[in-house]
Amino acid sequence: MTLRFLLLGFFIGFCTLLPPAAQAQVRHTLSGLVRATGTAETLPGATVAVPALGLGATADAQGAYSLTLPAGRHQVVVSFIGYQTQTRELNLTRDQRQNFQLADAGNQLGEVVVQGSGTLEQKLQTTQMSVERLTAKEAKLLPALFGEVDILKTLQLKPGVQNGGEGTSGLFVRGGSADQNLVLLDDALVYNPSHLFGLFSVFNPDAVQSVDLYKGGFPAQYGGRLSSVVDVKLRPGNPEKFTTSGGIGLISSRLTVEGPIKKGKGAFLVSGRRTYFDIFTRQINKLTEDDPDSNPIPDYYFYDLNAKANYKLGDRDELFLSGYLGNDVFGFNSPNGFNFDFSWGNKVAALRWSHQFNQRLFLNTTTSYTGYKYSISNRLDQFAFNLSSDIRDFTLRSDLDYRPNDRHTLRFGATATAHRFGTGRLRAGSEDGRLNLGSDITYDGQEAALYASDIYKPSDKWQFEYGLRASGFRSGQDQYGGLEPRAAARYSLTPNVSLKGSYALMYQYVHLVTNSGASLPTDIWYPSRQSVLPQRSQQVAAGVSWLLGDGRYLLTNEVYYKWAQRQIDFKDGAQLFVNPDLDSEFLFGKGWAYGDEIYLEKKQGRTTGWIGYTLSWTKRRFPPQRGTSGINNGDTFFPTYDRRHNLTVVALHSLSDRVKLTGSFVYSSGQATTLPLGRFLFQDVYGADAAAVPIYPQRNTYRLAPYHRLDVGVVWQLRPNRWIPESDLTFSVYNTYSRRNPYFVYFDQVKDPETDQVTSFRARQVSLFPIIPSVTYNFKF
Amino acid sequence: MRIPLISRILDTWPVRLSGRAARLAAAGTLLAGCGLQQDIDVVLPAYPPQLVVEAYLEDGQVPRLTVTESVEYLATPTPQVPTDVTATLLLPDGQRQTLRFAPGLDARTGKAYTHLGTQALTIRAGETFGLDLTDSQGRRVTGTATAPQPVPIDTVEWKFNDRPEEQREAYLLTRFRDPAATTDYYRLQIHRDSISREPEVEYTVEDRLNNGSEFSLGTSYRFDPNDTLLVTLYHLDRAYFQFLQSVEDARNANGNPFGQPAGIRSTVTGGLGVFTVLVYDRRRVIVR
Repeated sequence: MTLRFLLLGFFIGFCTLLPPAAQAQVRHTLSGLVRATGTAETLPGATVAVPALGLGATADAQGAYSLTLPAGRHQVVVSFIGYQTQTRELNLTRDQRQNFQLADAGNQLGEVVVQGSGTLEQKLQTTQMSVERLTAKEAKLLPALFGEVDILKTLQLKPGVQNGGEGTSGLFVRGGSADQNLVLLDDALVYNPSHLFGLFSVFNPDAVQSVDLYKGGFPAQYGGRLSSVVDVKLRPGNPEKFTTSGGIGLISSRLTVEGPIKKGKGAFLVSGRRTYFDIFTRQINKLTEDDPDSNPIPDYYFYDLNAKANYKLGDRDELFLSGYLGNDVFGFNSPNGFNFDFSWGNKVAALRWSHQFNQRLFLNTTTSYTGYKYSISNRLDQFAFNLSSDIRDFTLRSDLDYRPNDRHTLRFGATATAHRFGTGRLRAGSEDGRLNLGSDITYDGQEAALYASDIYKPSDKWQFEYGLRASGFRSGQDQYGGLEPRAAARYSLTPNVSLKGSYALMYQYVHLVTNSGASLPTDIWYPSRQSVLPQRSQQVAAGVSWLLGDGRYLLTNEVYYKWAQRQIDFKDGAQLFVNPDLDSEFLFGKGWAYGDEIYLEKKQGRTTGWIGYTLSWTKRRFPPQRGTSGINNGDTFFPTYDRRHNLTVVALHSLSDRVKLTGSFVYSSGQATTLPLGRFLFQDVYGADAAAVPIYPQRNTYRLAPYHRLDVGVVWQLRPNRWIPESDLTFSVYNTYSRRNPYFVYFDQVKDPETDQVTSFRARQVSLFPIIPSVTYNFKF
Repeated sequence: MRIPLISRILDTWPVRLSGRAARLAAAGTLLAGCGLQQDIDVVLPAYPPQLVVEAYLEDGQVPRLTVTESVEYLATPTPQVPTDVTATLLLPDGQRQTLRFAPGLDARTGKAYTHLGTQALTIRAGETFGLDLTDSQGRRVTGTATAPQPVPIDTVEWKFNDRPEEQREAYLLTRFRDPAATTDYYRLQIHRDSISREPEVEYTVEDRLNNGSEFSLGTSYRFDPNDTLLVTLYHLDRAYFQFLQSVEDARNANGNPFGQPAGIRSTVTGGLGVFTVLVYDRRRVIVR
């Protein structure tokens, strides 16, 4: 079936599901945006309700709400956690647009807000399951490594999310690998969301408003990755006045400037961050430059720059422009004339036009560009060498929200992306022209999708969300496509207990080429083409949510089972760099993951926090193929991020209006890793070169010691002064009891110090971070 | 007794760690000072030993090969040398040459061997040899090796930097032309003074990016005035190249948290190791 025919059928089929829009009673629609006072920041998840009628609506990802009410006078209550509730009386005589602005309750309240995803009541009632929402404001309260607040690392504290190793920001969601996460920044894709080999994410907390992590039950508007959606929203600037804020930390500093573009019309925000390792290392190099035995320390730094602007074109139209530019730079210049430069980074830009046709129909159209590139270049005398790889996308997407009545919320959309994969560019040459070689391997790809979904509420007991996504991909002569059904249901057993279930099928058409098992800057992306077929996964999840203690606690238990086909790995010794025949280096297999996630959270009061526990299994199988014995001789194995048990405890306590105490504890079962079982002596052609060569007959059969760590922090708000009205000192202690958590294990030889002969072999465990205290000063004026 | 002799010979060699592991050991001193490295007990699944062979045939040389056994990684360092292995070389003309078990040290290469042939071989490019090893446990290792065409070194050049006399160092550039008709693999080694030492520089390369054109393999500024250098260019077959790569990958994976452990891609079946024909060109130069 051709893709076109398939899509046509999809829409004809979906239209038969459209609900009747006509309503007998005279009703009008109240709609608009919910924002924070003094900023253009919208508040997704805010509630707009008429308690007397038992009706309400939740603001969507853009902060827009729509509520259909009988004509007449109503008391409308607008609320959102962390903001002061607002009550307003309205006389509804026709469809009406009404925006609300909620004042920040943050510093005035003696409580700590843990999440910005609305109330626990809302979480109980929503059909959407398997989602975690976090605001940068909340992430900033929690203790962090080197004091560097990282919103992706904070997500690792949620159940079902594993990290890729000590200190890393990669997310491994419900048995998926890090490249199976759809990471979006204001609807634009980010290909490599990490700095410094994964130790930090690219998201500057000063510029980020919130992040939603979908672990399953994916809404139909998302696609292109198998395991999760990480939807990061940048914070709009302050539309009222110019402000400057920033922070000075142990390894980096941040500065943000924001203000109105034209009062009442729009606002901008520009935020930058830069590390300063290189400033110290240059000074050290200067001090040792006269020592002939000293080796200069290479320069390393990273920076990122975020910008966002919004501008109202009228009552019904608004433009949003978002941008990100970040780079890691590693440089080495030896006095011998050997220069080496290694840089990598993302560029992202998105322009969104938001238009309201009427009270029931909204349109968001976004055009975006994203690019990731790494480049390695060195030069020695007359010889020069440059190796690079990049990927860049142009995307156009439109999303229509249509709310015909209180029972249905429809969403339609289409997206198209033009990819260009530069999988390997090499240039090597000499000034005399005798050496001149190069390679430029580039592929084009086109990806498109159409989707439609509906949130249908037939009764107070039942709520359904169902949708269909039709996606396709083309690279050269190769075309692929598929239908991706999505469905979720909620049944309210009692006013305090909801049962939920979901199913989602996902396709992934682009693949990360890496055999490191970690996120490295040299990882490249490769399209589905020739033998490399799209990856596919399906996930079912079922859960129960139980509101306890008069609505103060929410206990959630979700079980999931995920199975995936055409998972990729690579042959032993695969040539991944500048290989025009990369296709032949892939291996294909199956994966499956299942588990149980238990989550208890408390969101209001002087003490808040959550406890999460996950029991899970993740497995892979790559049978013999392509002249190899597969992976692990074709037997099932655990990937490195498989963890049997994972426990997180996060607590925040407001000691006073100015002092907050925070703490987090994590425990997880040991990481699966591969150790050599045997060794042999290899003399090579000449005997002086004898070596012990490790033999790895099996994959990931050894478990490192369990990982556990306690972090504590204090946020101390300083008294306002004439120059700086808002400032705080944030103290963090990472790994408080200095647990030597295993980073990796290797085998070493033990020698007799007198004879220099090898007497035995031993296993050594390396840990990365002992106790690390840090302090960050944050200010705003 | 020959067994203790060969064991002693093999035992006295410094077992070289991979480059990464060696750096790690250096970094480990620092980490250990911070308490970030520690010895641990690990319990590994049982590992059944396999026969390991290293057999490099050369034109004009009496064949010698080394047969050992692989061991559990944390076993004592004493090399396991089986005494009951029968080694037979299958010659291109169909004749067989049995190599007798006669452990010794090759004075030319400084390498220990366990089996010794009876007469020097005459090898021409394109000829295929076979190897057959059996032992009393019923283990059998077999392999074939075809002699590649020789690829000569065109030039070896060097250039000194502009630093003061006492800090002057040269880089070395080796040029050769790759045959266009075939996919080729090379190994370049540069030894200082003697080939029985560990090479100063070593590369293994393939011609997929510059098939049929001139290769220029250079070094950094690292050679002192009057250094005597032996530049050896081996022309490898694909199986030997893959074996060398897999050995390097396996060694690098020990101690590399980002590395993916790789299996050894032996050129023989039934065991581990390599059986190949060495074809090389060598230049001796004094940089001045």
